[in-house]
Amino acid sequence: MESAVKIQEYDDPSYDPFSSDEINFGDTLDPYPEIARWRAQAPVLEGDYRPRMGLQSAMYPDRKMFTVVGSDEILQVLTDTDRFSNAGYKFNIGATFGQGSISTMDNPEHGRWRKIFQKIFLPQYVKTWGDSIVDPVVHSLMDEFVSRGHADLIEEFTILYPFEVIYRQLDLPESDVRTFQRLAIGQTDYMNSGKALEASKKLGEYFVALVEERRKKPGDDLVSLLANTEVDGDYLPELVLISFLRQLMNAAGDTTYRGTSVLLAALLENPEQLEAIRADRNLIPLAIEEALRWDGPVAVQLRMAREDVLLGGVEIPGGSLLDVVAGAANRDPAIFTDPDKFDIFRERKAHFSFSRGPHICVGQHLARVEMTRALHAVLDNLPNLRFDPDKPRPEIRGSMMRVPKHIHVRFGESAGLLKGQMQ
Amino acid sequence: MINIIVNTREGEERALAAGEGLSLMEAIRDEGIDELLALCGGCCSCATCHVKIDPAFASLLPPLSEDENDLLDSSEHRDETSRLSCQLPLTRELEGLRVAIAPED
Repeated sequence: MESAVKIQEYDDPSYDPFSSDEINFGDTLDPYPEIARWRAQAPVLEGDYRPRMGLQSAMYPDRKMFTVVGSDEILQVLTDTDRFSNAGYKFNIGATFGQGSISTMDNPEHGRWRKIFQKIFLPQYVKTWGDSIVDPVVHSLMDEFVSRGHADLIEEFTILYPFEVIYRQLDLPESDVRTFQRLAIGQTDYMNSGKALEASKKLGEYFVALVEERRKKPGDDLVSLLANTEVDGDYLPELVLISFLRQLMNAAGDTTYRGTSVLLAALLENPEQLEAIRADRNLIPLAIEEALRWDGPVAVQLRMAREDVLLGGVEIPGGSLLDVVAGAANRDPAIFTDPDKFDIFRERKAHFSFSRGPHICVGQHLARVEMTRALHAVLDNLPNLRFDPDKPRPEIRGSMMRVPKHIHVRFGESAGLLKGQMQ
Repeated sequence: MINIIVNTREGEERALAAGEGLSLMEAIRDEGIDELLALCGGCCSCATCHVKIDPAFASLLPPLSEDENDLLDSSEHRDETSRLSCQLPLTRELEGLRVAIAPED
C-alpha cells in the first residue's frame, strides 16, 4: 500500500535491539532442575525469580516480591481475580506497550476490551488466515532453502515467519518493515529502558498515523478492522487500540517464533516421534501441545496481590508482586508423569503455557494455526530431516523466555540411504 | 442445594449437589470432574467448559449472549443443546438438571 505515514528510526541507528535478549530474558540452558529444587522446598518463595536465575532484578517500585512454583498456588493466583491483579504489568508492559494494554487491566475493564479482540481471534476466524496468510509466508521462506539440502531453521524460518504473518495482517508497506521490527523488538529491552521508551513512542506515533489513514481508506487488514471497530457508537479508545497494536509483535510474533523453534528442536531430538508424525499427521496437535508444555516460550507471568493474602502458607502483603512460574506447573510430576521427558504420546492434560484465568492467551488459536502450518510445511518439503552432523546441536536457552538460537539441519537423501541403495 | 446429574465423556453418571448461585461450571469442577477444563476460570473467554444440556431444561436457562454464541461456534461438537457451563448460574428451577460434558475439541 502506498502510504504517507512515516516510520522513525532510533535516534542512534547503530542500536541493536536484537542483542538484548540474554540480558532481558536470560540464557540459562536448563532452569527446570533448579525450579524443581524450589518446588521441593515450598510452593511460594520470598524474592523474585530473576535474581534466582542470575539475572538483574526487574526495576519495579520498592515492594515485596515472591516466586510461585506450586501448581495449586499457580492456578489460584491466575484464576482468583478477587485476590490477585494484573496491575503489576503496568510497570513494564504498560510503560512500553501502553497502559491501554489489556494485559495490565483487571475485570470488568479488561473484559470490556478483551471481548473485541477475542472475537477476531476465535478459531473459526483465524483458521482462514492459515490459507490466506500463513501458508504463503511459510512457503515463500522455505522456497529459499529447500533445494539446498541444509539450513538453519531458526535464522531462515522460525524467527521470520510469525513476524511476516503480522506484516501481512497489518498490510504494512514493505519499506517500513525493517524499522518496524527494530522498534517492536526494542520495546521489551527493559534493561535499556531509554531505548524501550523511545521505541514505544515512535511505534505509537506510527500506529496513530496508520490508524488515521486506514479510517480514511480502509482495507481488509487488521489495522483497518480495529481502526473501524465501534463500541457503543464510538471507536475503540486510542490508548487501547494503539497499546494492542504495539503489543502484537511481542505477543503474537515473538512467542510463536519461540514456540515453533522449541517444537522443531524437540522433534529433531526425538526422531522416532518426528517419524510417527510423518506417518500420521493427526498427531500434530498432540506434538504442539506437548512442545508448549515441555518448554513453553513464556516461563513466568506477573501478578500483584490486591490485599494481604496467605498463599501456600506464606503471608503476602497487599501490593506485593508475584512471579508465577508457569514452567514449574508444566513440569510438576504430580500432574505430568516423567515431566522432563518430551513425549507427544503422554496422557493429555492442559498445560499452563497460555496461562489460565481471564488473561488466557487471546492469540492461542492463531498460534496453533501457525505452528500447525509450519510443521506441515516442514514435513511436506524437508524429507529425511535431521541434525547437521557438522554443526552443534540446538540449545534451548533462557530463563524468562526460552528459545534455541540455531537449528542446523540437513534434509533430502542421506549419504547412508544412498550407500544403502548402491549395495 | 441443587441436585445435578452429570454424564462424563467416559460414560459415567455422576450425581452431585451444589449451592444456589454457583455456576454450573463451578459445581462440576468442584466435584473434581477434571474433564471440564474451564481454563479461563469462568469469564466467557475460552470454550473449555462446553456442556450439552438435557432439552427438558432448555427453557429454564438464561439466553445465550453473543460472546457465548461466538465461542460455542469455535467447537466442532456444537449442537442445539450446547452451552458454556460458566454462563449458567444454578437456580432452584434447575433442580434435577441433567447435563453431559461435550467431547474435547
